[in-house]
Amino acid sequence: MKKILALLLASIMVLSLCSVSFAEDISVENAEAVWAEKWADVDTSKHVVINYMTTGDAPKTGANAEMLAQLNAILTEKVNAELNIVWISWTDYLANYNLRIASMDGTIDLIGSSTDWLDAWPNAKRGGFLELDKEMLEKYAPVTYATVPQEHWDVCTYEGDIYFIPEDNYSQWTNHGFAYRLDWAKEAGLENGCQTWDDLTTYVKYVKATYGDQLIALWDTDGTAYPAGGYICSFAKWRNIDGLASGAIWGGYLDDPYTINCLYLVETDKLVEYAKLMKEWDELGVWPTDVLSNTGADNRLEFRQGKTALEQHHTQTWTGLVSPLASTDNTMYLNDEDCDVGFYYWGKEAGYVTRDLVTHGVAAVSAASANPERTLMVYDLLRNDKECYDLFNYGLEGRSYAIDENGYRYTPDTYVADNDSISTNWWWGRNDALEIPSAAMNWDAINALYEEYDQIAVMYPYEAFVFDNTMVQSYINQCNEIYNTYMKYICFGQYSGTAEEIVAEFQDALRAAGVDEVTAELQAQINATYGK
Amino acid sequence: MTTINPKKVEPYSVKGSLRRKLFNSKTLILMCVPAIIYFIAFSYAPLPGIYVAFVNYNYRKGIFASPFVGLKNFDFVAKSGKLWTLTQNTILFNLAFILLDNLLAVTVAILLKEIQSKSFRKVSQTMMFLPYFISQVLVGLLVFSLLNSDTGFLNVILKGLGAEPLRLYKTGDPWPIIIILVHLWQKTGYNSVVYFAAIMGIDDSIIEASMIDGANGWQKIRYIILPSLKPTVVILLLFALGGIVKGDFGLFWNLVGRNPILYNKVDIIEMFVYRATVSDFNFSTASAVGLYQSLIGFILVLTVNAIVKKIEPDYSLF
Repeated sequence: MKKILALLLASIMVLSLCSVSFAEDISVENAEAVWAEKWADVDTSKHVVINYMTTGDAPKTGANAEMLAQLNAILTEKVNAELNIVWISWTDYLANYNLRIASMDGTIDLIGSSTDWLDAWPNAKRGGFLELDKEMLEKYAPVTYATVPQEHWDVCTYEGDIYFIPEDNYSQWTNHGFAYRLDWAKEAGLENGCQTWDDLTTYVKYVKATYGDQLIALWDTDGTAYPAGGYICSFAKWRNIDGLASGAIWGGYLDDPYTINCLYLVETDKLVEYAKLMKEWDELGVWPTDVLSNTGADNRLEFRQGKTALEQHHTQTWTGLVSPLASTDNTMYLNDEDCDVGFYYWGKEAGYVTRDLVTHGVAAVSAASANPERTLMVYDLLRNDKECYDLFNYGLEGRSYAIDENGYRYTPDTYVADNDSISTNWWWGRNDALEIPSAAMNWDAINALYEEYDQIAVMYPYEAFVFDNTMVQSYINQCNEIYNTYMKYICFGQYSGTAEEIVAEFQDALRAAGVDEVTAELQAQINATYGK
Repeated sequence: MTTINPKKVEPYSVKGSLRRKLFNSKTLILMCVPAIIYFIAFSYAPLPGIYVAFVNYNYRKGIFASPFVGLKNFDFVAKSGKLWTLTQNTILFNLAFILLDNLLAVTVAILLKEIQSKSFRKVSQTMMFLPYFISQVLVGLLVFSLLNSDTGFLNVILKGLGAEPLRLYKTGDPWPIIIILVHLWQKTGYNSVVYFAAIMGIDDSIIEASMIDGANGWQKIRYIILPSLKPTVVILLLFALGGIVKGDFGLFWNLVGRNPILYNKVDIIEMFVYRATVSDFNFSTASAVGLYQSLIGFILVLTVNAIVKKIEPDYSLF
């Protein structure tokens, strides 16, 4: 009897040891085996449709339908499920996105989200997302669960529950700045491109004088992007807290990040300086006269076509602009063989950038989903299964893309974008382990900038901080409204009176709207989180 | 002279038991059924949902199980310090709309009635009616194409004539007038239909009699048509007053949008609430604002109705 018991105990120990070592080694390479083991006893007898919601405009190409058909055949075979994409088009996307989550009618299962540009935390707190416990993730999304480190799960956790899966193994930079025509900057005498805001001003002056007549505008903006924070952060090492409001109003200096302040109250001089500079740009004619009502413009497309000279967005967008073949819209390269695109990022003068949040892209399961288990299984496949990944991210091999002898992805000669391109806006489960680099990208320029970033990058200091806004949300809304109003005056030089006056007026309005109450509440909760 | 010989009409029996009364009015009741269902479904059934304005709404718990927070959701509007200015603006704009709408609609209806050629009347009526069907998004774009500084129709002409262009999108002052003009352009054709129908309903024999008595065109309008329109005007006015605190968001948003130079002159409650909460997506705050607007509208309707009842009991709503 003792013998049998000992044998039993020993074998249990050996088995558990095996499973421990097994868990540690999980990666995309042995994913098949992991799934075979973990999902062996999952009942998948009923065929289900998993509705995946993403922002963007639905593609209408034949390749896209074909790709989904092939993908669904694989998903059906592996987990008896198929995927349907629900698109939230870009017009008023945030309101429609939130509305779709709030409707809770069970018509969506998998939700692409983000803590900085889509309302991941507010939706989690309002009960829109399902809590994902560890057992559930380990069972139904085993590869993802094992490959995301514990500290990344921690930043997706609120009051003990995990609310979403981070896209934490994908290299990209989403820090903002100005993309500009490097070839024109060189003509203007800036051999190394724009290194400072003074260089940018030299650049816009030169371009206005030389190419002004050929362009729609230097920057055909609709007046809703506000580089004021970017200007100030080019001199002061500061980081704002993401996800509080659309405006980046609160944050702290990097040498003391847990002392919270409102950027626009502590950096008055720089803000005045910026307001003056933008008045100069306005008088120079950098943007259309009616910039604040210029809603019909598409500056990025116009930039690609060589009809504008500045585009304010992030590094990832710039990588597409600096690569002639990255988009068929990049016609500026066809018309001008010297064409080149540089990037002036916020923080360049002060010498720092903040690394991306691991929650810049996250995937959540709707609280109203009828099939949360199968949703997680499908997600695990889309993120970690080579075959599914290639289909879902690149489309049909031989039609949407081909692979060259160096292992780079390129578009075949027969490729016609209107017919052969695919789009799934899968920004919540990309995986460097399975990425195939694109031959269309200008890797020399991109890698040079990435190396520069790596030298100076700092971590986002508030990753573990989830703000409980119950007490001050109405103040935040007021401040955000004030911010959006005055930024339009300041960032596009649309004020009458002096720069000092408009900044003082802005600051008074912020104080009246309760900016200090929010700062105090943030400070109290930061102290509680970081034990200051 | 023809003798008027009215047809004998059997009056509805309003005597007897309730069942008898219902049975006797069955046709009328049947005709009312769609309207009754509409109001039950869209006005009375959702009433308990007002409660959402007093809770911290959680999607999964639903309206009634979400935590009660009292008047906290009303804080937001109160704290802005703009509530009174916004309410004032909204009411003034609506007053202008109501007065000018009715004035213009009555005038247009009378003019239409006076047009003798039937085909010309139809064509002009249709042309005035058309703007009503243009989406306000398009109206906003049309106005921008007309008025913008760089490529606007108006300014291209002004520049062609050697005049200084009008920078209308850089100054807020003309916008109250522009908004009212656009509103009138869009709505007059539609509004005049009701009055036109009322005028067509006036018994021709009265007008003929006045002509025989020697009334000229103006006197006919002054003493016959306008007094006959009075009940319609009063009823439409009472209806309009109920919504006087509710702004026409579509019109304002598409004409003025996110441009603070303009909206600081013409801000209404809806515009402010949209700007301040679009990034927050909070049903409870929005419902609180809606409730505030409805309450004021409700009080206004009751008050005005009471006044009307005092002066001319027949014209009051209830």
